[in-house]
Amino acid sequence: MTCTRYNAVYNSPILEMLTRSLRFPRLTCSLLLTICMLATSVSYAGEWAAPEQELARKIAAVTGPGAIAFEVVNRSSLTNRDVDQISQGLRGQMEALGARTVKPEQAVASVQVSLSENLQSYVWVAEIHQGAGDLSVVMVSTPRQDSAMFVREVAPLTVRKIPLWSQEERILDVAVLDEGTNPSHLAVLDPDKVALYRFADGRWQKEQIIEVTHARPWPRDMRGRLMLRQDHLLDAYLPGVFCQSSNTVPLNLTCRASDDLWPLSNQFALGGFFAPTRNYFTGALSPGIGKQTSSMKFYSAAALPRPTYTLWMFASVDGQIHLLDGITDQVSRLSWGSDIASVKTSCGSGWQVLATPPGDHAVDSVQAYELADRDPVAVSPALELAGVITALWTEAKGTSAIAVSRNAETGNYEAFRLAVACGQ
Amino acid sequence: MKLFGWQWLAVSSLLLGISASAETRPHYGGTLRTTTRIAPSSLDPADRTQTDSLARRNLDELIFDTLVIVDNRGRLRPALATSWKAEPGNQRWQFWLRRGVKFHDGSPLTPEAVAASLRLANPGWSILAAVDSVIIERDTPAPDLGAELARSRNGIAKRGPGGTVTGTGPFHVADWQAGKKLTLAAEEGYWASRPFLDAIEIEMGKNSRDQLIALELGKADVTEVAPEQAHRAATEGRRVLTSSPIELMALVFARDRQSLEDGKLRDALALSIDRASIGSVVLQGAGEPSGAVLPSWISGYAFVFPMEQNLSRARQERSEIRQVPSWTLGYDAGDTLARVIAERIALNARDAGLILQTTTSGSADVHLLRITLGSLNPRVALATVAAITGAPAPKMGGSAIDELYQAESAMLQTQRLIPLFQLPASYALNSSVQDWDQDRDGSWHLEDVWLGSNRP
Repeated sequence: MTCTRYNAVYNSPILEMLTRSLRFPRLTCSLLLTICMLATSVSYAGEWAAPEQELARKIAAVTGPGAIAFEVVNRSSLTNRDVDQISQGLRGQMEALGARTVKPEQAVASVQVSLSENLQSYVWVAEIHQGAGDLSVVMVSTPRQDSAMFVREVAPLTVRKIPLWSQEERILDVAVLDEGTNPSHLAVLDPDKVALYRFADGRWQKEQIIEVTHARPWPRDMRGRLMLRQDHLLDAYLPGVFCQSSNTVPLNLTCRASDDLWPLSNQFALGGFFAPTRNYFTGALSPGIGKQTSSMKFYSAAALPRPTYTLWMFASVDGQIHLLDGITDQVSRLSWGSDIASVKTSCGSGWQVLATPPGDHAVDSVQAYELADRDPVAVSPALELAGVITALWTEAKGTSAIAVSRNAETGNYEAFRLAVACGQ
Repeated sequence: MKLFGWQWLAVSSLLLGISASAETRPHYGGTLRTTTRIAPSSLDPADRTQTDSLARRNLDELIFDTLVIVDNRGRLRPALATSWKAEPGNQRWQFWLRRGVKFHDGSPLTPEAVAASLRLANPGWSILAAVDSVIIERDTPAPDLGAELARSRNGIAKRGPGGTVTGTGPFHVADWQAGKKLTLAAEEGYWASRPFLDAIEIEMGKNSRDQLIALELGKADVTEVAPEQAHRAATEGRRVLTSSPIELMALVFARDRQSLEDGKLRDALALSIDRASIGSVVLQGAGEPSGAVLPSWISGYAFVFPMEQNLSRARQERSEIRQVPSWTLGYDAGDTLARVIAERIALNARDAGLILQTTTSGSADVHLLRITLGSLNPRVALATVAAITGAPAPKMGGSAIDELYQAESAMLQTQRLIPLFQLPASYALNSSVQDWDQDRDGSWHLEDVWLGSNRP
């Protein structure tokens, strides 16, 4: 038995690839639905065939051929549909082995099958009563499949989430490398590696895994950022470590201990120093905002251009939002969470700030705001993600953001592209 | 509910006016204050004179790491070992160690240190130190050796003079007053990232009532809650978190079954117990009545073992014995829940014509015990119960579900123990405690916990 460190899970194609083909939505939806239902029922039937056969064989070994009363009870997280299919499957298998299912009063044996589960498997238990209260118990187990599928959003939303990637290990950042007509290359940064994926044959396929080397242990609530570059593919900023890729394929990643600035934006030249053993920026800024070269310690920052200056917002570790304009440091009444990012769009004032809500939530959300002066106005409903948001970074072009959340149900990290669609 | 147009804008604007604490990312710093009922006299994870309990295990895991851990789905995960391999037959295992790990005293974690630690905890194993790994050889196939090594008693410890122990865990010992108070400090260079908390203070030997008072007065941030008090504590507005059932409450006979008659009397006792009413009245619905050793969420088949009271059959079994001895039923004097349940069992037994005298003496005929399941691995958990109760060690060659069921059935057929309830572990937390991530088995992860600014 060997331990496997990285367990990739199902990753869906990028939603844009689907939405672009929806020229005849109703017809397409119906077709897709039908195909999905057919595919699902085929896969389910195949999924349960082996345990059905094994359990039927074990039951038949006790009862022999003949008349049996047969009942299935669900004690597991299986859906009613699964239970119906398993029930039918078991009956079919029993009949194939010579059993006839009859009413209890006509039966020589009564069989109650409980569909149960434990940590790793479904456990199907058959309790067989024969004669004067004699009880026999037989059982089988079959591994539980974790479904890590994304629920695709099809309803029009002002802040849209587009699933990019999901995995068990913490995702620090994701960069879409090659947009083309559709996104076709991804870089995924996690604490141990940069992984490159290519979309081909209808799914994401691994192209290259490049290890991130580091001498010191990473801090808890680890953070990291990928920045795309012109002269080489990318840079990775990690706490106390800087990594630069080569510009040739296959890629190399050269990492070194570093207290270099992390860029806070691709659109506005400002960097912040990240505390190498913590989860926040120290507050020191370079080259500074006007005369201001420091802020409170902060978790994230977002910029909004104004006609004569750039307004910077900092989500500080003290829970407040600080607004810096080059002259003043104003504490805002804004009640936002720790993660904010700004995006440039083609609607409204042209810039929106995406922000998480304050407080401790099992399920986080992102909402878009505009700041007419210094007063925020929510311009979108809150978009819920399936867990706590662990990263929110503006993408290279500045027109969308990457959000990473940890799915509260599966525990997997899920990366999305967040795009603001106006007027919907 | 979806809000559109002005509706959600109004709600959003209202929300903006509320001055809420905006901390969503974890904060570093602060001291977590917690209380516990246990009062250990030693911190050595391999010290078998200390009673095994969930609290004890959680304590160990703050200071000591194991080679591997078992996750919430029962899978092995790397810890001090980054990889491992079993040779065919599962008798010889090799674990490769993580590089760069240091004990709290600054000395490096070496294969020799790991081997010495494991040898002390498992005198019967053959353990060799290799260049960058340790090799464990067992006399018989050990397919679950990984899960066994994940138990906190196999935490890797470096033992010094005077009984001092040092670990590699997320916290190191800052102050230790045996049985009274333990102060732990965050290990800055912890290989799996420094904890958010700066320190943890653990007050020991506190009963449930005192613990809740400490929470109420703001003197503790986290306290244990007795199973029977969990429901009430939650309805009184306290923040209570409860694990899956992880502790087996059972009657355990001091001796093996002595005769056929003795077996019939044990049967009669098992049939006389009204678990349902004890569960609803005494435990306030907190425990799951059970006739099985393993809870269903670990085995998947616990419902197969009967647990209903059947007084007529109990009386029938009893009537077949001419001379019925009087048994003593022992319980832990410091455990008020155990006392009440022991008294109820004695009453139930009397209804079946059996005589049980409750006692706090250690030399009773039957003991009411709480047995913490040692692992999320069902085979290791079953073996742990066997070791504690004196039942024969379960024999399982493979990992098939029916082998596990046969082994558990065989254990119950020895009549060494009568399972009663599967109990969860509950904790009450004040509002400042954030990211309390408790495993299904009640294990803490205090390295991930942080303190918000709203401490009472």
